[in-house]
Amino acid sequence: MIGRFVFLVSIALRHLLRRRRQTVVAVSGVAVGVGFFLAVSALMVGSQNDFVDQLIESAPHIIVSDELRSPSPQPGARVFGDGAVDLHGYKVRTEVRGIKDWSAIVAAADAIPGALASPSLTGGVTLRLGGHEEALAIVGVEPEIETQISTIEDQLRVGRLRDLEKVQGGIIIGEELASRLGVNVGDIVAASTSTSKARSMRVVGLFKKGQAQLSSNSGYVLLREAQSMLGRPFIINRIGIHLSDPYAAERVAARLEQRFGYKAESWQERSSEFLSLLVTRNVIMYSVVSAILLVASFGIYTVVSNSVSDKQRDIAIMRSIGFSERDLQLIFVIEGIVLAAIGVVAGWMLGYLLMEILGSLRFPIAGEEESIPLDRGPRQYAIAAGASFLAGVVAAWLPARKASRVDPVDILRGAV
Amino acid sequence: MTGILEARGLGRTLPGERPITLVKGVDLAIEPGCFTAIVGPSGCGKSSLLYLLGLLDRPTEGELLFEGREMSGLSGDERARVRLERFGFVFQFHFLLPEFTALENVMIPMRRLGRLDGEETKARALALLAEMGLEGKEGKTPDKLSGGERQRVAIARALANDPVLILGDEPTGNLDSHNSARVVETLLALAHEEGRAIACVTHDLDIAERADIRIEMLDGRVERIVDNRDTGRAPNA
Repeated sequence: MIGRFVFLVSIALRHLLRRRRQTVVAVSGVAVGVGFFLAVSALMVGSQNDFVDQLIESAPHIIVSDELRSPSPQPGARVFGDGAVDLHGYKVRTEVRGIKDWSAIVAAADAIPGALASPSLTGGVTLRLGGHEEALAIVGVEPEIETQISTIEDQLRVGRLRDLEKVQGGIIIGEELASRLGVNVGDIVAASTSTSKARSMRVVGLFKKGQAQLSSNSGYVLLREAQSMLGRPFIINRIGIHLSDPYAAERVAARLEQRFGYKAESWQERSSEFLSLLVTRNVIMYSVVSAILLVASFGIYTVVSNSVSDKQRDIAIMRSIGFSERDLQLIFVIEGIVLAAIGVVAGWMLGYLLMEILGSLRFPIAGEEESIPLDRGPRQYAIAAGASFLAGVVAAWLPARKASRVDPVDILRGAV
Repeated sequence: MTGILEARGLGRTLPGERPITLVKGVDLAIEPGCFTAIVGPSGCGKSSLLYLLGLLDRPTEGELLFEGREMSGLSGDERARVRLERFGFVFQFHFLLPEFTALENVMIPMRRLGRLDGEETKARALALLAEMGLEGKEGKTPDKLSGGERQRVAIARALANDPVLILGDEPTGNLDSHNSARVVETLLALAHEEGRAIACVTHDLDIAERADIRIEMLDGRVERIVDNRDTGRAPNA
């Protein structure tokens, strides 16, 4: 059985060697298809992974805020539940903003293996220097914990987050804001809120320009500094949670929200519109690539189809010798598979080469030389090979059926 | 009638609006050790009869028995198997596979059958080519061989799987008289010395005269069967 297959393969190879030019054209078609698929998908998948990484790491995986998804029910409704309760004309109690019982939430989050929670307080202040006034959203954090749960350290051009602890009244602001105010590291600005009088802050660090997540109008201070400045001692209104597995964020967030009632937002929820955009991108990529591979399979179809029509006499003689219809069909399908196989290997090499070229390119982005993120995983190679083989087999099988239908008598009679 | 291959009322009609009858009511027997020539004018259906006898075409009526077994009920694969194991074909236009050398052409039926290993296959193919007087031509592709040489390669290939029946369709039709005589000698020797059954369609009167049995056809029917052997018995009497 194997011997017979090897024998049929040797016949198919002879046929292909006889028509070298067509073979080369068909193989190049597949190779170019596979090569560009690899290059394009490496780009697409690479940039997508890079983008998702940024989405995930630019902010904590889960943010618990002091908001509620729906207002807490009135006591009457709470007590009687599904009873016929009709309340109207009541006055809503003014709730103090901030997360109550936040240490319990932090403890619950810390209890998850690999997870770390960082409490923070955000609020608005006004920075003043000379005649300039700039509104600033300050985030009060514990630098020790915050550095572990976010990539904030990487976003700093000057200084470190821990510097906040070393300097009395330290503040970290964006580069653009600093230049608008005309301050630099070490300079002092005045900060005031609606409820407190102005106090002096010393700039200890600057964020890089163009960080979308840290808008130019936000700044970092110590948590207790923020609490005192905003007049809300011991209160926090935001808990950032970092997980060892970012993809568990949705599940963990739902659990925390159910348990504590506060809105817990995972990174997936935060960026759902981006993620659905990525799905669209993938659909586009795979349809373009399928089109390339489809065109490549036309080459295989042509070669095998020509081979079948040129080999009518050979088919007739092989049938008379005692080759079965299936043997002949197999010979021509093998021709297609061989073309696809050589094309795939050549395409892998072409794709590898293209990726090397793309990987060596450097682009200046925001003043920094950056290379294109590429995904070089074996998955793309496997997809390209699988799709090409499938296309090759189908493209060869269609004309090969014709070979098995050749009636040797028609050929022999015509030749005599 | 006792033969390795027997036809009883064999007929073949091409379907269509006006059906064409190629062969009709043929009774004959092909005997081992005997050279049978099928003769007749062009279009008399002798080639069509040969294709029926060679299991290349299916009869529309009658019976065909090979070694006592009815053939018409066999599937395409089973018929291919019988051809591979028991039949050898020699055609007018040689029909060697152009991509393969003389040696490889002779090896093809053996490799397809797969009974011998690679070395045995090659040894047998070389022996068959030598028997046909083709030493030194083994490595040549068909386009480097003369017409006579090609036909002898085709005969060697027909013999590859040691067939009991060799069918020829104008095997000398494309050869000069010298090569033609040589091919006829070879075929006669295969019948008389090796006991194979040979059936050839031919126009060649010389072949027809030298055949053991001559089947004369006209308009798709067998007109006369002449036995040239010494026994002088009249077959089909």
